Amino acid sequence: MAFAAKLKAPGWYRALLGMIIAFGFGLGLDVGIRALYGWHPLIETDAITTIELIAVPIGFLIGLGAFDYWFRWASGAPTIPEDHSGHGARSWRDYFRVNTDHKVIGLQYICTTFFFFVCGGLMAMLMRAELAAPGLQFVSPNTFNGLFSVHASLMIFLFIIPVFAGIANYVLPLMIGAPDMAFPRLNALSYWMLPIAGIMMLASFFAPGGSFATGWTAYAPLSTDTPLGQTFFSVAIQFAGASSIATALNFLVTIITMRAPGMTFWRMPLLVWANFTTSLLVVIATPFIAGSQFFLILDRALHTNFFDVAKGGDILMYQHVFWFYSHPAVYIMMLPGFGIISEVISTHARKPVFGYRMMAFSLMAIIVLGFTVWAHHMFVSGMFPWLRVPMMITTMLIALPTGIKIFSWLATLWRGVIHLTTPMLFALGFITMFTLGGISGVMLAVIPFDIHVSDTYFVVAHIHYVLFGGSVFTIFAGIYHWFPKMTGRMYDETLGKIHFWLSFIFFNTTFGPMHLVGIDGMPRRVADYAHQYAAWNAFISVSAFIFGMTFFIFVYNIVTSWRHGPVAVANPWRAHTLEWQVSSPPPIFNFDEVPTVVGGPYEYGVPGAVHGVFKERVPVTTAAGGGGAPPPVNTE
Amino acid sequence: MEVGSIAADLHEQEHHGPPTPNQSSRVDAQTLGIYLFIISEIMLFGAFFTAYFFLRVVKGDPWPAPGTTIPVGIAAVNTAVLVSSSFTMHWANVSAKNGNRPAMRAGLWATFFLGLTFLSVQINEYVHLGWSPQDHAQGTIFYGLTGLHGAHVTVGLLLLLFANIRANRGHFSPDAHRGVEIPGIYWHFVDVMWIFVFFSLYIL
Repeated sequence: MAFAAKLKAPGWYRALLGMIIAFGFGLGLDVGIRALYGWHPLIETDAITTIELIAVPIGFLIGLGAFDYWFRWASGAPTIPEDHSGHGARSWRDYFRVNTDHKVIGLQYICTTFFFFVCGGLMAMLMRAELAAPGLQFVSPNTFNGLFSVHASLMIFLFIIPVFAGIANYVLPLMIGAPDMAFPRLNALSYWMLPIAGIMMLASFFAPGGSFATGWTAYAPLSTDTPLGQTFFSVAIQFAGASSIATALNFLVTIITMRAPGMTFWRMPLLVWANFTTSLLVVIATPFIAGSQFFLILDRALHTNFFDVAKGGDILMYQHVFWFYSHPAVYIMMLPGFGIISEVISTHARKPVFGYRMMAFSLMAIIVLGFTVWAHHMFVSGMFPWLRVPMMITTMLIALPTGIKIFSWLATLWRGVIHLTTPMLFALGFITMFTLGGISGVMLAVIPFDIHVSDTYFVVAHIHYVLFGGSVFTIFAGIYHWFPKMTGRMYDETLGKIHFWLSFIFFNTTFGPMHLVGIDGMPRRVADYAHQYAAWNAFISVSAFIFGMTFFIFVYNIVTSWRHGPVAVANPWRAHTLEWQVSSPPPIFNFDEVPTVVGGPYEYGVPGAVHGVFKERVPVTTAAGGGGAPPPVNTE
Repeated sequence: MEVGSIAADLHEQEHHGPPTPNQSSRVDAQTLGIYLFIISEIMLFGAFFTAYFFLRVVKGDPWPAPGTTIPVGIAAVNTAVLVSSSFTMHWANVSAKNGNRPAMRAGLWATFFLGLTFLSVQINEYVHLGWSPQDHAQGTIFYGLTGLHGAHVTVGLLLLLFANIRANRGHFSPDAHRGVEIPGIYWHFVDVMWIFVFFSLYIL
């Protein structure tokens, strides 16, 4: 009986049952339709796999309990009164359930995404091992194609985009004085769609014909002719995209409707601004990649003619639709990082953010311009020649708002009291590396130069300077900055600094030389290469292995600090924003009483400046207030 | 001034439940949520319309495909059916606000059945068109756009069905009728989107 009860209650047993039922349903649907139409053979692996890729995850989500409340709501049944049992984590098991607490979901996001980060990183190591010398060493060319495709897809869709959603999930409601996100159940559903997408991408290696091997861009018509693994990519993108859109919608509604009294838009911390603009991008742009993958799935599964030139299809249309999402996507992968850097630099340099309003305006300018540059990815694709120059100009224009941000950060640092803590080091590393990536970006915007280095390692170097030296450094900065808040413990500062310096040095020795071999013409996405590049590639591979190992310093630091680190005070950085005014980790409902915001978030060094005040509570005169002594006025 | 922090013993006060969040906008969360969702839906249609644009404008291919016809008359009647369902939906919504339950229920069921009629006519059109999405790119895009819209009609019908079930069970009052309002907003979106699909595929 106990087992039957387990199968009825939401959880992993029921999830397993749901998957089995969904599998059976998908199988019946496929075989039934084929029998109805008289198609043979009745059991066709490709068709069944395509259907099961959609059906089984939905069975899993239903079984796990992501829809339970809505089913009751839809049928008009009396909903179970909220007892907050699905809110907050009391043991590690609660992290493996459908949990509606934004703090739990934030940690679920961060841990899951770092798992996929490791997976993607190991694939990078394998690729570097293969590329250490000319010729074929370890993997076949097709496996190599699969490795870089899955590496890129995991890093983009399962690490960078969602880890920012995870950090924001944890921090953002606290920052704006909200007890939770606007739609906690939708938030839980968004999270649980994510591991599905990641596992699907990894599972593609087991598909007949190997994993998808067309790059993360999956250009048609190559992707309509490749083996079954490609379908795993297209369906995984639908789950990751749906998760992304639902989270973005949730952020937007939370930011618009749930800010604390007194928190006007111009008193929001820049992390909130960054996520506001990013979420707008996600809501507007992500449906386009969903559309492009729908086209692919339909062409592959139902043999429609979106990309069949013989029957009037248009293959360039794929690239336009794909890049209309995927160029804004690079800002989806960068703007939340900008927000983190603003928080970190202002707090650790003890100065108000320089040009706060311009920082927010430049975010808006980036998202508007971000929609006007997609075709700069297609200079060599044979698209309309007249579109090239406008795209080059708009691409260069984007450097303006980005430059405003870079110089504002520098001006924030100017004459600040700079504390070289680990998050600050990563923020400084970000500024230098992202600027380099930005410069090579402007170079790539120049049409003749772009044509010269198209599909070479120069592009690989550029993408890694902006996505690793840019985004991932901001992620590390954010993780270190909020680690005390999330776990209630301090990380090891020495190990953090070692992690920064080693990764900073070996990041540059890994990706810096790629600029050189790229300009020399070494093609990307090829397992073998000419002997003239052998010396640099051996150097890059060795650097990459050391670079990969630096990550274990981070893991060791995080794991041991989380378990045994010194207990963190509520506000170790003496920051003004609201999330630091509650205990570390925060109480289960964030606030006893929603605070009132009375000033800007970064008034460091302004005598008497306060960001938020808590009603009905005299300031606690213990160290918990942060900073040690209980100064009535922060005169810093 | 640094504000003192909430003491950690608040963990023990969790049975108090969360504080009441501040409502910082005149729009409530659910309404804003459905509008944002509709924006993303419009963009999904945008991707399909891009495919249509590339076929008809960029490449300048004939529409419909040579030797095929599109039944404009039936679709026009069907359009009228769907548009009229927007009015019954509005009626249901206004009645829900005014507490007129019989009118609300009549409006909800009328909308539901008008939508169902639209979907049936659409499926019937698929059966009798005589060409398939596999035949040519025109077919792919015609079936793609109408199919995407049909999927949205189906979702709208599901939402309406939920609203109907709940209305029959005595839910909704003048103060609490979001379960009618939100499906209504979605239904209007499905209607307006159909007008664009209809004009692009059948008229132009």
